Amino acid sequence: MECREMIILIHEYLDGDTDELANQHLQAHIRSCASCRQHMHELQRAIAFVQSASHIHVSPDFTARVLAQLPAPTKANLFSSWLRNHPFLTAAAVFLFLMTGSLCANWFDRDNTLQVSSANMDKLKIDRQRNVVVVPAGTSIDGDLVVRNGNVDVQGHVKGNVVAIEGKVFVASTAQVVGNTESIEAIFDWIWYEVKNIGNDLLPILP
Amino acid sequence: MDFVEKRLTQRAKRGDREAFAELIEIYKDKIFQLAYRMVGNRQDAEDIAQETFLRVYANLHSYDDSYKFSTWIYRIATNLCIDRGRKKRPDFSLDEETEPGQGMDWYSRLSSSEKTPEDKVVTQELQETVQDALSHLQPKYRSIMILRYIEDLSLQEISDIVKLPITTIKTRIHRGREALRSKLRLM
Repeated sequence: MECREMIILIHEYLDGDTDELANQHLQAHIRSCASCRQHMHELQRAIAFVQSASHIHVSPDFTARVLAQLPAPTKANLFSSWLRNHPFLTAAAVFLFLMTGSLCANWFDRDNTLQVSSANMDKLKIDRQRNVVVVPAGTSIDGDLVVRNGNVDVQGHVKGNVVAIEGKVFVASTAQVVGNTESIEAIFDWIWYEVKNIGNDLLPILP
Repeated sequence: MDFVEKRLTQRAKRGDREAFAELIEIYKDKIFQLAYRMVGNRQDAEDIAQETFLRVYANLHSYDDSYKFSTWIYRIATNLCIDRGRKKRPDFSLDEETEPGQGMDWYSRLSSSEKTPEDKVVTQELQETVQDALSHLQPKYRSIMILRYIEDLSLQEISDIVKLPITTIKTRIHRGREALRSKLRLM
């Protein structure tokens, strides 16, 4: 094999690309050829020479100087990092926001038509002209009676609460109401009523 | 190591400066070393290293973490070094103050090691020879020789950094070695 080809083999050897057979071939040639031996020695010396370059260090305040040059964090970034650092407050804020949102939506989304919710709709008498829901004398309503945008005139028996939202509750002397009677006319009353409801719903769960 | 870096880059991506500071700590000397061997003086090398980290920060959102972070940062630094070499750099004086009003000039920044004066001279001469030999290589060979033999990277990683096939990298290393060899024969 010619020395020119051997030089290529030497480079492959220096890159760690030669197999055992090629290595033996190379060693054999180098033992017999002084110029190739010299060439390989010089290449190895060149590598060692570059590797001897001492490892220098950047000035100690480098990191601080780079950090000082970073663009200022945006408001959004500051806000999101605050949120990350205070997960509990974030959760509480989100909860409150959604709660007030849904309560307000219930309040503001109403229309002005008379709405009645009760378990025994058939027993109620609804007077659309006067906007009054009448519980006739001698009838008995199971559960709560909730009326929106109208008054309630209770003459009979209600086995639950009577609530008039945006209206009044009239209780006749013949009436019997097992629960409470309530008239709700302002938004704070409404919120209080909703919160109380949540409380009442939760209470049975608690021991 | 890769796992730690992945976590740090993810945090830095979300705007976490502490995580970015840790990344700087891991890479500052490596990047500075590369830049110093490429351009041959501390001031330019620090400028390049600084610019590298600022670019990394500005482009974190586009960094795809299925690639190694080191590959990406070395690529940015290598490109900056080669660009810097193309432009004529502005003149720089050691008498200039490092920071205005601090009363420190660049002489005070030049590192002092704990060696005896004779050792220092010998080491410095050797270092200057290395730097001189490297500076005679064309930048495309110089960068690859530095990545291979000073930064100690594998052929595969160098190929990823400069986005060239491994065969091209090998050719450049072969020529770089030959160039250094003939340079050293003259000394």
